[in-house]
Amino acid sequence: MSNIDWAVLLLTLLGIVGYGVYKSRGTKSMDAYLLGGQSMPWYTVCLSVMATQASAITFLSAPGLAYSSGMSFVQFYFGLPLAMIVLCITFVPIFHRLKVYTAYEYLEQRFDFKTRALTAFLFLIQRGLSTGITIYAPAIILSTILNINTTYTTLFMGGLVIFYTVFGGTKAVSYTQLLQMTIIFSGLFAAGVVVVHLLPASVGLGKAISIAGKMGRTNAIDFDFSWTNPYNVWSGIIGGFFLQLSYFGTDQSQVGRYLTGASVGQSRLGLLMNGLVKIPMQFLILLIGVLVFTFYQYNKAPLFFNSYELNKLKSSEHKEELAQLQLQYDQHFEQKKVEVQKLDEALSHNDQIAIDQQRIAVKKADEEAKEIKESVKALMLKNDEKASTNDNNYIFLSFVTEYLPKGLIGLLIAIIFLASMGSTASALNSLASTTVVDIYKRLINTTGNDGQYVSASRWATILWGLACIIMALYTSKIGNLIEAVNILGSFIYGTILGVFLVAFYVKQVKGKAVFYAAILAELMVCILGFNEVVAYLWLNVVGCLAVVIIACILQRLIKEKTVEASPTV
Amino acid sequence: MNQSKNDLPPFVKSWKQFYYLLLLWLVLLIVLFYAFTNYFK
Repeated sequence: MSNIDWAVLLLTLLGIVGYGVYKSRGTKSMDAYLLGGQSMPWYTVCLSVMATQASAITFLSAPGLAYSSGMSFVQFYFGLPLAMIVLCITFVPIFHRLKVYTAYEYLEQRFDFKTRALTAFLFLIQRGLSTGITIYAPAIILSTILNINTTYTTLFMGGLVIFYTVFGGTKAVSYTQLLQMTIIFSGLFAAGVVVVHLLPASVGLGKAISIAGKMGRTNAIDFDFSWTNPYNVWSGIIGGFFLQLSYFGTDQSQVGRYLTGASVGQSRLGLLMNGLVKIPMQFLILLIGVLVFTFYQYNKAPLFFNSYELNKLKSSEHKEELAQLQLQYDQHFEQKKVEVQKLDEALSHNDQIAIDQQRIAVKKADEEAKEIKESVKALMLKNDEKASTNDNNYIFLSFVTEYLPKGLIGLLIAIIFLASMGSTASALNSLASTTVVDIYKRLINTTGNDGQYVSASRWATILWGLACIIMALYTSKIGNLIEAVNILGSFIYGTILGVFLVAFYVKQVKGKAVFYAAILAELMVCILGFNEVVAYLWLNVVGCLAVVIIACILQRLIKEKTVEASPTV
Repeated sequence: MNQSKNDLPPFVKSWKQFYYLLLLWLVLLIVLFYAFTNYFK
C-alpha cells in the first residue's frame, strides 16, 4: 500500500470512530447504552440493520463466490422482503409495546424462565461462534497486506473491535454504521467503475458480463427445485424466509438495532427499506465479482490468491513441483486468452454459431484451469496438512491491492474494516446485553442500579470479545466464510424462530411443552445437518416447523394427563 | 406505542399498501434476474 492509501485508511477509520464516540458521549444509563435511548430515525435504523448484516464477509466472500461459482447466491436473499413484512406486522409492535431490552425477555412473559434461558443460551452459542468468523474475515486483509500469519492479524483486529465496542455502546454503533454504509456504497460504486475501466478497450460492461455468462457466472436464477442445492429460487424464498425471519426476529444483534427506532413506525420503515435495498445491493456486489472474473480472463490471475500459503509452498521442498504447475498454468492461460478473444470477436459480430463454439471452448479451458489449481491445493496439503486451501476470500482483496488506483485501495480496505467493526460491534453489544439482561440481571444481581448494569455490560463485552478472538483463531480451516456463518445460523435459528412463532400465534401452548419441543427440534436439526440430509437453508424450515408441531402435540398430551390426574367432581 | 400520523409510511396511505409494494418489488426483481440469466448465458 502507498502512503496515500495508508492516510486514507487511517483518516477514514479514526474519523468515523471519533464521530460515533462523539455522538454517543454521556451514555450512562442502561437504556441509552443498550437501546440508544430509542431515538433513532428510520434511515439510521435501516442503515444500521444493513451494516449489522453486511459484515466484512459480505465484501470479501461474495465477490469471491461470484468469481468461482457465479451469482446464484443472490437467491439466498429472496426470503428477506417477506421476512421484513412479517416482522413489521408481528415482532416490532410487540417488542416496542413491552419495552424489552432483549427479544428473550418477552419469552419469560409469555412462557417461563427456562424457555427464555434456553433461547438466550442458543443465541449466545450461535452468535459467539459466528462473531469469531466475522473478526477473522478482516484479519485476513492485514495478513495479505503484511504477508504474515492470520493469527497475529486476528489478535490485532479483535483487540481493536473490543476497544471500540466497550466505549461506544449502542448509540455509537448506530451513528458509526450510518456513515459506514454511506462510504461503503460510494466505495463499491467506484470499484465497479474502475473494474470496467481496467478491461480492454473493446470490452464494455455488457460484453464483460456476456463473457462471464458464457463461462457460467451469470446464473442469478435457478427455478429447478432441489433439497440439496442451497441456491435456487425455492430454497431462497422458503428457506431464506425462515432464516431471515429468525435472524431479524430473534437474533439480538438485529433486534437491538431496530429497537433503537424512535417509534414503531420508524422501526418498521427502517426494516421495510432494508427489504427494498438488500437484494439489489447484493446483486451489485456479486456483479463486481463477475466483472473481476472477466478482468482475469485478459490478465493472468495468481495461481493461488492466498499469497501467504503460496509463498509457504514456494519456500518448501515442493518448490520444483510448484514451478512445474506454474509453467503449466502460464501456458494454459495464454491458450485460454486466445479462446476468450475469439469469443470476444464472435460477440462483437453477433455470430451465434461462433459464440456457441467458443462458449464450449472457454468453459473447457476454465475447467482445465480449475484442475491445475486443484493440483496446487493437493501439493499444499502434501506440504502442510493444516494448510488453508480455500482462497475464495482472497480473490477480491488480491484484485483490489494489485490493480486499483492509489487512494481507492485505502478506501476499499477501510470499508472492509468499517463493515467488520460495525457488525462485530453489534454482535458484541448483543452478546453483552443478553448476558447482562437475561442472565446477570435476572439471576445474579436482581436489585442493582443502572450504573452497575452498564458496568456489567462493558465487562461482558470485553469477555465476549476475548472469547470470540479465541474462536476466530480456529476459523482459518473453514472454507467460504459467508457460507460458514449462514450454515452455523441455520443450525440454531429455526428452533428459536419456532419458539417465537408458538409464542405469537399458538396461544394454548404453554412453557413446558415449548421448552421440550425446542430441545427435540434442535436434536433433529443437528442429526439432519451433520449428516447433510438436506441443504443447510432447509434446516431453518425443519427446526421451526418441528418446534411448532411437537409443542402442539406435547401440549395436548400434557393437557390429557392433567385431566386424567384431576379428580372428577 | 403511539400510532400517530407520523407513524404512517411515506408515498402510500397505509402499512398494508407498503407491504404489497414490497411484494411487487420482489416479483419484479425475480423477473429481471430471470431475464438477466437467460440473456447472458
